Amino acid sequence: MNIKDLPEESLFTPGHTACAGCAAPAIVRNMMKIFGKDTIVYTPANCLLVFSGTYPHLAWKVPYLHEAFENTGACISGVARAYRRKGRKVLVVGFAGDGGTYDIGIQALSGAAERNEDAIYVCYDNEAYMNTGIQRSGATPYGASTTTTPAGRKIPGKLEHKKDMAEIMRAHEIPYVATLSISHPKDFLEKVKKAKETEGFRYLHVLSPCPTGWRFDPSKTIEMARKAVDSGMWTLYEAEYGEITNIYKPKKKIPVEEYIKGQGRFRHFTPEMIEELQRWVDRKWERLYGEKP
Amino acid sequence: MYEIRFHGRGGQGGRMAAEAYALAAFLEGKYAVSFPFFGAERRGAPVRAFTRVDDKKIRIKTQIYEPDYVVVLDETLIETEDVLEGLKEDGMVIINTPKKPEEVQLSKPVKCATVDATSIALEILGRPITNTAILGAIAKATGKVSIDSIEKAIIEKFGARLGKEAGEKNAKAARVAYEKTLVGVSQGGKEFVPRKRWLPTVEEMPIGGAIGTLQTEAGLVGIGSFIENKTGDWRTFIPVVDKEKCIGCRLCWFYCPEGCISMVEDKATVDYDYCKGCGICANECPVNAIEMKREVRE
Repeated sequence: MNIKDLPEESLFTPGHTACAGCAAPAIVRNMMKIFGKDTIVYTPANCLLVFSGTYPHLAWKVPYLHEAFENTGACISGVARAYRRKGRKVLVVGFAGDGGTYDIGIQALSGAAERNEDAIYVCYDNEAYMNTGIQRSGATPYGASTTTTPAGRKIPGKLEHKKDMAEIMRAHEIPYVATLSISHPKDFLEKVKKAKETEGFRYLHVLSPCPTGWRFDPSKTIEMARKAVDSGMWTLYEAEYGEITNIYKPKKKIPVEEYIKGQGRFRHFTPEMIEELQRWVDRKWERLYGEKP
Repeated sequence: MYEIRFHGRGGQGGRMAAEAYALAAFLEGKYAVSFPFFGAERRGAPVRAFTRVDDKKIRIKTQIYEPDYVVVLDETLIETEDVLEGLKEDGMVIINTPKKPEEVQLSKPVKCATVDATSIALEILGRPITNTAILGAIAKATGKVSIDSIEKAIIEKFGARLGKEAGEKNAKAARVAYEKTLVGVSQGGKEFVPRKRWLPTVEEMPIGGAIGTLQTEAGLVGIGSFIENKTGDWRTFIPVVDKEKCIGCRLCWFYCPEGCISMVEDKATVDYDYCKGCGICANECPVNAIEMKREVRE
């Protein structure tokens, strides 16, 4: 699967009100091209909901519903079961942000995964509650300055590291877990296609750089995603029934400093903080690749 | 008491301008408050912010409906909304535009000050963030605060956030704008048709609010209806594709957040009705076939 295999027709219209340079609409549009017309979409509260579904206007060309922040997992479960009962083949997809996945939605998500519901859950991860104005979430990386972890003289941004949500989902031993990045189109599309073709509960986790919240120039969105992968801050892999079946290794691993340098949220970083973040990346690297970086 | 209403786009710094102005007035011994309009606005979407200044304590907390001054940070906004709404009889409007006051067309002739804040910001700050330059224009046009206080307020407010050097550069932008501001009277006669809203009755409302695609008096609603929302006026820079260089790789088509690039005869073609000018296409093009240029609007 490559870019040229994608259909021209889009199920996600322009005219939505996302910030210039937002990665989420590109992620969603390209995913929807593969998911196709027979899809029903649920979203909880997140930026995507606000910029693509401001009632009565919609950017979606498929049935689209808005539900509460915490119950994406429960909603897609119910709808998937209703369609099964009716004997109709419909792809049920939930698009949640990192807040709605890591923090607020984790119980319903975990339940749906444990019951192996026949649905796809997509977490688009912009590493904070961007919709309400950049508050830290479980996905916010160490040291990032947000409005609830502002970097100042006493506290240097967020004190904790990012939670590894994809690994939590892998531990559910569901049919398919994949981490994606919009900067790697072929890998991205193949994973989306695989998710569509798999039965049971599928979890897709995609990094969605946010120029507003991470504070970088809107033209650099894809570059940021690429650097996240190359530095090991974001790891691309697939797992089936809990086993990693495919993992992407950057050709040349770049230091984490290269990644954080263009982002305002890390502007206050001291050499010690860079080291701390690098240690976290290296631990993750060793765990996932089974070797020292 | 006098009141100022700022019209800008999310990310242009309208709120920071409103706050810095309040600080400048405060430094001159006045009471001042400022606050943004609260809504689900994204970067690039029209937003408002407010500043009130008085010699005594300010008890009123509402938004500003009848301003003494209206400040427009983005010229494109005067095309889509009547920025003069509620402006007092002898009120004044201050607009970021390369035009002279006499060349600006509004819904009625009013006192008008103009400054090309975007060019000043690009020249001094290297970015089209006009909120500090426009403060200089306000000082000149209104005479209500001195440019010295504006500079002090900018250095204090922006310096604390962006560093000392950036604070001073922004103060310079205000000073240059102060010197370049023109004051005059605008043209009138521009007509605005208020945007219609879809307001169904209870009987007309479908169960659960679920709608397919409906053509209403207020335009399209429901599935796919955002297509009628043209976001092209958000941008400052415009991508220009060199069709000779384009190799038809479709990367820009894939990456574009708006989905407004299509392939015509295998060459990237941008739909400027929707392009917000983020510049991702130009940044990612493997053969540098796309260039971002400063947009010149008629």
